[in-house]
Formats: sequence, C-alpha cells, structure tokens
Amino acid sequence: MAVVEELQGIEAEALAGIAGAGSLEELDRIRVAVTGRKGSLTKVLRSMGSLAPEERPVVGKRANEVRAAVEAALEARRTELSQAALEARIAADAVDVTLPGRGLSQGTLHLVTQIKQEMEDVFCGLGYTVEDGPFVETTWYNFTALNAPEDHPSRSARDTFYVVDNAPEGKEAHVQGESDVLLRTQTSGVQVHVMERQKPPIYMISPGTVFRPDTADANHLPQFNQVEGLVVDEGITFGDLKGTLDYFCREIFGADRATRYRPHFFPFTEPSCEVDVSCNICHGAGCRFCKGTGWLEILGCGMVDPNVFEYCGIDAERYTGFAFGIGVERVAALRYDLPDLRMLMTGDMRFLRQF
Amino acid sequence: MRVSYEWLSTMVDLPDDPQDLVAEFVRTGTEVEAVDRLGVDFDHIVTGRVLAKEAHPNSDHLWVCRVDVGAQNVGEDGEPEPLQIVCGAQNFEAGDHVVVSMVGATLPDGTTIKKSKLRGVESCGMNCSERELGLGSNHAGIMILPEDAPVGVPFAQWYGIADTVLDCEITPNRPDCLSMLGMATEVGAILDEDVRVELPRVEREQGPDAHDLVEVEIDDPGICQRYCARVVRNVKVGPSPEWLARRVTAAGARPISNVVDVTNYVMFLTGQPLHAFDLGKLSERDGRRHVVVRAARDGERVVTLDGQERVCTPDVGLITDDRDRPVALAGVMGGQNSEIDETTCDVLLESARFDAGHTSRTSRSLDLMSEASIRFERGVDATRCRDVADIAAALFEECCGAEVCPGVVDVYPEQPEAPVIALRADRVRALAGAPIADAEMERFLARLGCGLSAREGGWDVVPPTSRPDLVREVDLIEEVVRLWGMDRVEATLPAARNHAGGLTVDQQRVRRISEVLRACGLNEAQTYNFARPGDLDLVGMSERGRGVPVEIINPLFAEQSQMRRSILPGLLRSVAYNQAHGTRDIALYEIGRVFFGHAHASQPDEPSYVSAVMAGGRGDAGWDVPEREVDFFDAKFVVEELLRSLRVEKVRFRPADPEEYGWLQPGRAAEVYSGARLLGWVGNVHPATLARLDVEGDVVAFELAEEPLLRLAQRELPYREVPTLPGSEVDLAIIVDEDVTCETLVQRITSAGGRLLDSVRLFDVYRDEERVGSGRKSMAFSLTYRAADRTLTSEEVERAHAKVVRKVCQATGGEVRGA
Repeated sequence: MAVVEELQGIEAEALAGIAGAGSLEELDRIRVAVTGRKGSLTKVLRSMGSLAPEERPVVGKRANEVRAAVEAALEARRTELSQAALEARIAADAVDVTLPGRGLSQGTLHLVTQIKQEMEDVFCGLGYTVEDGPFVETTWYNFTALNAPEDHPSRSARDTFYVVDNAPEGKEAHVQGESDVLLRTQTSGVQVHVMERQKPPIYMISPGTVFRPDTADANHLPQFNQVEGLVVDEGITFGDLKGTLDYFCREIFGADRATRYRPHFFPFTEPSCEVDVSCNICHGAGCRFCKGTGWLEILGCGMVDPNVFEYCGIDAERYTGFAFGIGVERVAALRYDLPDLRMLMTGDMRFLRQF
Repeated sequence: MRVSYEWLSTMVDLPDDPQDLVAEFVRTGTEVEAVDRLGVDFDHIVTGRVLAKEAHPNSDHLWVCRVDVGAQNVGEDGEPEPLQIVCGAQNFEAGDHVVVSMVGATLPDGTTIKKSKLRGVESCGMNCSERELGLGSNHAGIMILPEDAPVGVPFAQWYGIADTVLDCEITPNRPDCLSMLGMATEVGAILDEDVRVELPRVEREQGPDAHDLVEVEIDDPGICQRYCARVVRNVKVGPSPEWLARRVTAAGARPISNVVDVTNYVMFLTGQPLHAFDLGKLSERDGRRHVVVRAARDGERVVTLDGQERVCTPDVGLITDDRDRPVALAGVMGGQNSEIDETTCDVLLESARFDAGHTSRTSRSLDLMSEASIRFERGVDATRCRDVADIAAALFEECCGAEVCPGVVDVYPEQPEAPVIALRADRVRALAGAPIADAEMERFLARLGCGLSAREGGWDVVPPTSRPDLVREVDLIEEVVRLWGMDRVEATLPAARNHAGGLTVDQQRVRRISEVLRACGLNEAQTYNFARPGDLDLVGMSERGRGVPVEIINPLFAEQSQMRRSILPGLLRSVAYNQAHGTRDIALYEIGRVFFGHAHASQPDEPSYVSAVMAGGRGDAGWDVPEREVDFFDAKFVVEELLRSLRVEKVRFRPADPEEYGWLQPGRAAEVYSGARLLGWVGNVHPATLARLDVEGDVVAFELAEEPLLRLAQRELPYREVPTLPGSEVDLAIIVDEDVTCETLVQRITSAGGRLLDSVRLFDVYRDEERVGSGRKSMAFSLTYRAADRTLTSEEVERAHAKVVRKVCQATGGEVRGA
C-alpha cells in the first residue's frame, strides 16, 4: 500500500508545514502545494484511477481524511495568523492617549451672561416673564414714577449720566440740570413700562445693562448689569417676598446658605429691606471676606410703595406687590472672588475662556 | 451718626454689652458701620495726688514731684509707693489731684511713657494735660481734678471715659435718628423700654426783651419755614466744662469753645442745627439787629467759617444783616464776619427750619456739606425750633455764664397741621403676611411716640412731629413690621394664579444665536456701550443710517462721551488689547445694542446687533494639524451656520460696494441677505482701519441686525423624505472666466439638472495659467442624480448630465476641463 504511505507522508509534511507557517502568504503556498490544482494531494486523488479496485476504497477514504485534516489545519492556522496579524496591526497602531484631542473648541458665554441666564432660569421656573426696556430713559421712568423725590441725590449728575435731549420741547423745565433724558441707572423703569401696559397679575424680572458715573476701578464699572424683579397680584405679602428670595438665594448661592432680612429704606418700596446671604467662606462665623460679619449683602427689596402703583395706574388697595434688585457683577465677583471687575469689559480671551 | 453709649444710657436702659444693642439695631434697620471703644487704651493712666513739689536742681522751670498713685505702684515690700515725676507744668501745687500716665501707658497721640532721666533726675511717669489725653484743647497746664477725686484708680473708670460709640448709618427717611433724643426713642421702641430725658431750663431771664434787640424777616418762605432767635448777653467765651467737651467729642466734633460746643451739643441732642452769631457784628438800625433770610444774587460772595470764599448762585439761601451783607449760608455754614470769638459778648442764637430741598440745592451748588446741612436736607422738626432755642439758652446760662434775654423772636408763617393716619390692623397683617397682634401694634407705635385713638378695626394715629416719614398707612405698617421682626415673618411662595411665564420665542432665539456662535468657536465679550466721538470715522464707517450720536452731558472721559453706533470699534479694541497681551488667536462676539439718535426726539432707536471678530489662527490647529490663519470664509461659515440654524431661508451673499463699506477690504466683503432683506455684512476689516486701531494681521468680522434675524427665523421647515434609493455621483470640472461666480454656476447647474439633480457640491477651485489659462479658473463640482421612485439607469444619468454640461457651458462660456 505505497499510496497510503505516500498519503501519510503528504499529511505529515503538510501538517508540519502548516504548523510552521509564519504568514498568511506562506500558508497559502502550502495550500497550493498540497490541495492546489497541481498539489501533491490532488495528484494522489487524480491517480486513483490507476489503483487496483480493491485498493480504491481504502486509499480514497484515507485521501479524504488527509484532505480534511489538511484543510482543517489550514483554516485553524489561518485564523491564528490573521489574529496575530490583527494584533500586530493594533500594536503598531497604538497612540499616546495623553496627546491632545483635535477639533474646533467651543466658545464660552460671558460670565455675566451666564449668571444673568441662571437668574432668568430660576425665575422662569417660578412662572416669571423676562422684560426689557430702553437704556436711554426719561427721568419719569427712571426716577419720578419710582417715587424718587425731586431732590433725591441719585438724580444728581454725580450719580446719573444725562444725555442731550434733542426734542424741540425738551429745552425747558428739567428737574435735574440740563436734561430729562438719561442713561438708566437701574432697570426698575422697565417695571413701570410693564405696569403701564399690562394689568396684574404681573410676575416679571428685568435683567439688563445700567449705567452710573463711577470711574472704573477694581470694584466699580460705569456700565454694569442688574436683575430686578416685580410681582403685583392680589394678596401678595411680605412673606411671599421672603419665600421668593429665599428660594432664589438657595438656587443661585447654594442650598446651604442662610438669608437675613435687614429693614432698610428705598423710595420705591415700603417696607424695604436688604438681604444678606451667609458668607460662603466662613459660614457665618465672620472672616475677612465678609468683613467679620458672617454675612454678604446681595439684594435690595421691599413691598411696592403705593405711590408707585398710583403713578402706574394700579389700584393699591386691591393689589400689593414686591420688588427686588441684585447686581450681576457682584454675584460674579462673590462667586469667583474676582480681584478686578474691569476684566469683565476688556474682552481678554484668557479671562473669557475660563468660564 | 455717632451714638455715645454712655450718653444714650442716661436716657434709656441699655444692655450691658453694646454688641447686644448692635444686633437689635441690625434687626430693626439701623446699620452700625463701626463700634468704637473709647478709653480702652488708657491702660496705666491713673488718678493721683501730688505729695510734694520741689524745684528741679538743674532747671529753672521743671519740678520734681512725688505723686501718690495708691496701690497702682507698689514697692518691693508690697506697700503702695509714690512715684517720682519730673513735671514742667506751672499750674499745680502740692496736694492737687492730677492724672498720671505711668510707665507703660500709651497716649492717644501714640507717645509711650518710659522711665527716663530729665536733666539728670529720674522720672517715672507724666502728669497729663487734657490735650495729651485727647479730651480737649486745653494744654495750658496739667489737668487738675476735683479735691474729692479718688487716688489710685484707673482714670478712664473715674472719668467715665470708657465709652463705646456706635457709628450708625442713618437712612435718608429718618432725620429723627440724627439726634440723641431720636435715637433714645428708637432704642426705647426696639428694646421696649421707657425713655427718660431731663432737659435743661433757663434759670432766670434778664435784660431787654429779644424783640427789642432783633428783628427777623423771612423774605422767601421757600427757603425757611420758621426762624426763632434768642439773645444771650455777656457770655464768657472759654473752654467748655469737661462733660460738655466729652459728649461733643464722642459725637464726633472737636471741642472749640463753650459757646460753639453748646450749639453743637444741642444739635447732637435734638437734631436741630443751631447757629450762634456775634450780635455785635451784625449791623444795627433803630437800635435793633436785622436778620433777613433770602435767596442769593448771582455772584454774591460769602467767606464761610472755614475761611473759604464761596461764590453764590440764585439757588443758594442766605442769611443777611440789615446792610444786606451775607452773614451765613442758610442751613449750611456761618460767615466769618459774624463768627464767635474770644471778644464776643452778646450772642444771637438761631434755631430755624430751613427747607430740606433748598438746603440740599445750596449744599450741592457750593459743594459744601456740614453737620447742619445734612440734618436740614433730611428735614428738621419745625414745631420744636423754639423749645430747642430754650435748651440752648439754658446751657449758655449754665456753661458760658450768659444772661438770657426774655422773649423769642419767632417767625413761623405757616404751622403745619399734624397728620392723622387711619391704620387698619387687618391691613398690617395682610401686607406682612404675619399674625401680628393688635396689642403689639399699639405698643410699637406708642413707643415710637405716636398718639393712638382706637377706631373700628384699628386706630387713628398721630405720628410724632419728629417723624416726617410717617404720613401714610403703609409708613406705619413698615414700623410695625420692622419692630415685630422681619425674620419672624414666615416665608411663603405666591400662588401666581392665572399667570404663565417663561422666555418668549425671541428671547429663546437670542440664546440660540449665542449658542451657535459658541459652537463655532466664538467667545462672548461685553464691551462698553460708550463710544468716542469720531469712532465711526476711525473705523471708516459712514454715519448714514446710524442716526445722530447720543451725547452724554456729564461723561467721565471724552473717550466715553457718546453712545456707540456700532459694536465693531469696541471689539476691534478688544482684538488690539488681546494682541498687546500676547494672545494671537482671537474669536469674539457680542450681542448688544447700538444707539441711533434722532435730531428732533429725546430718545434714540436702540437696535441690537450680533457682532463678531476673528483674528490669528482658526483655533483648530493641533500637534498634527497645521495652523491656519482665519480668512473671509471662516467668518462667512459662521454666518451661514447661524442662519441655517435659525432656519433663515433664501440666504445670499453679494459683494459689498467699497464706497459704502469703507471699513471692509474691497473684494473680501459681502452683504448678507435673506431674499431682499439686508441682514448685515461679513468681510475682512480694511487693513487701513486695523492700522488706525493698532491691530496686527488680518481680522475678519461680521455684524448682523438682530431684529430681522428674529423675524425671519423659523420654528421649523417642512420634513423632506430621507432617500432610500442610491444616487449617482458625477463630477464636473468646468473652466470659466474669473468673473463667473460660484453662485452663477450653481444656479445654472441646478436649473439645467432638473428634477433628477439631487444636489450640487463644489469641491475644488483650481487656477493654473498653463493648464487653465490666464483670467480663468476651474471649478469642480460633485453632482448627485437621484429619483425618488426608481434607481436611475446609467443612460438616464448620462443623458441628464450631458444636458447640464451643454447648458452650463453655453450660459457661462465655460468648457469642461479634460474634455
């Protein structure tokens, strides 16, 4: 049975070759050499016809076994080798993952806008609307309708920017100096506009830019931002003012911060008060940041003065309300302990990109 | 207002620790700015008695004394031992009681007492004068204490100097708190304690009646509502008694002389500013001195007590004597020509009510504030002018040895009626949202000095005349709420029935604009809304369409004397600022207002603009991506992204006319349209503009008006079917003249492609003199053909494409490259 032995030899050689094959190419050469058209096994199978009839079943069976074994070995080895090739490729492909990522980096929202939007979102959540009005205002909306007496120091040219009044009839009878037109010093005038055109219930805030003649320094800017609020409805109480501002302060400053209401005086409201939040550095114990008091003053507020309702044509017996105001830059400065407010206005990329 | 704890405690019982009162002040609305403790530094300063006084062996004016300080100084045996002190004063004798600064004491001026030798004789301390102790101006000799003064006790303790002064900030509505009497009432109400005050009375009136000596005329009742004058004669001008000097000092004034100190003391006590004229210096007619209150004439001059010459305007109020000579600025400061001095004999005492607003104008017009003007500006109680004059007269009698003339010249044209305010208890509770009991309301208001008479559901309240801020019901409610305690009011949230809030669509869109710009790598900046005059010229913008400038009457600087009419100059300055600070890659935007004034209207238009600048690298450079400078197309991409995100349709870019867009580089500038509506511009800022603003390199910028963006933005566009069948991509490179625009080619391709052409995308622009020809360019497009209902055959695609090629070449004079 020389043929069977030959098959034995082919199988042994092929399996050894397959086991030793180092690449897919080498494996393919073995495949061609064994099971290819001119392969050694193929040759044996083709010569089956020349075998004795009684030998044929034996040799045929054996030949098929050899082919199956070789093909199985080829397949197994192929899988092994492709796995290795993949692994090699992956190994070669490895990168230093600490290298920076690539792409266009997003821009940033100005710190003041961020805080303004946070405040807007808090009050929108409470069902407030967001209102705005002109920056160049009249003394009526900025002062008179807000119950500021004619001689109130805030009306003086030291505290208010006045602008040239180009109206032909505007040349006479100015309450203050040369003009009744000014850059708004507060956004409260917006509240008057809203009360004039809208019936209660009113739940609104007016965030926006205001102007005062303070020379820019570390703690002052001649242009800054305020968020003022107004509620006018039936049955509004001082307790409602407290509940609203307590909620606001917790949302903006953190749930662990306490509030304190100190009676104060503003022409626009009565009773009026200032609101402090507990110091975030010392938690009320007193430190340099809060000047030893444990509290940081952040809000002015009060119940809307009946005179203001009268100026705006709202029945002060039927409706009551509260109003409040907060400086956005002050919140920014407190939150980040900013050393100098002027950085907010320079457009310095190194500053803007931090927030 | 400086409140002496010691003085206050004579009128109302106070807590032992001043900090407890401070806390109550804070709770009820009086801000305490500082708590000064006087006398705490008087360590080692004690009372003593001079046992012996001998001439100094080496000096003809020094004395060597032995001073008994009791147990304050003990010898080695533990027994009290007198001190040896060398003293230069001449006003004392052995047996006198004195004040001794022992070794280790620090005087208010900072001097520290040490053991020393004076001309060879050891000295273990110093006998002090009033001035050295910071108690007054007297430095003529050492302080001699009464014979009954104890020996060997801390001086501060004996003298009562260990006082605490609360420096209170008084809000403008509370003139009453600018007096110790008002403070006592306030504190009595806060602490629920009785107030007890004993006011001095004139012992004896003598001499001629004041009416025979003085005549008062109020020329302008707008300046002065009441003027009381008393006359005291034969005053002995000299130092004040120490209690007077001490209280005046604690209140923050410097003791000057008994006459001046009395007027200041009474002002601090009552809140009523007084003025003392030297009667003899006022001119006389018919045996009487004449005092006239009138408005100043323009340019009239007064030399005030501080030696300054003041030039008046007509809104200044004056006191003049009969010769029409100004002798004081009404309510602000006296004149030098009628000032009290050592020679003063007779005094005209003014206790008046000058108008609040008028005093404020006088003070502002002359840029001069005083303790008096601060009080008049806030409102002085006219009903008490006469009583206060009496208090002062009594003190002149007591402290200056004066003879008080009978009679008060009292000009009081219109006595105000006391208001009666109806207060409803339920209204108090409703506004506060707190269960404040009727009895509590009654108690608070009574403590504040209100008269109450009960009525249905409340009271008729007559507020004290010292409280001009109490005129309406709400004013009383405020008093009740603050005394009851704002912290006790329960916090609630309003129900907001029948009200809905939230951001409007426009407000949401403005936020969206901001988000898209940030996603494109731009950073929000905020710059000043002020402008320099000539800013538009500087950048090369015309004024056309930008109104007239809004001019600030009182600017801080010329550079900020107008309101801006474009955001661009501010952003370009930020570019220069960044470059000057070493930042090269800059991408900024601002959404803000500009101000277009009207020639004949008070207020300007204030449209908002979306503005951006980009300079330096694009910002996407990395370790394996080469740095690329921003150019026109980076800015244009941001505009395109923004408009796409807002779903603004029919967006077109047209070359900007260099005549009109002087601030942009010709050829790299475009107007942005949606249909026929101009939205703004985008382009390279003109190099000449950049040079004028010290900006280096290229800057690309855009500015879009916010209003049309919001108007043309859409909430949604119709849904378009996602293709399910494959399309066929065919490239087309076409060579055309330089002046054929991309827009033209796309339009031609699109119209020629018909329904089967799904999309057109430019992917290359190629110029080469040899291969393309001079003045020509090759534009390569990728065209996708697709039908919605079937897969196109290659014949169909070829046919359609051939038509596109033919028509586009025809229309543009182009030829297919490589054909």
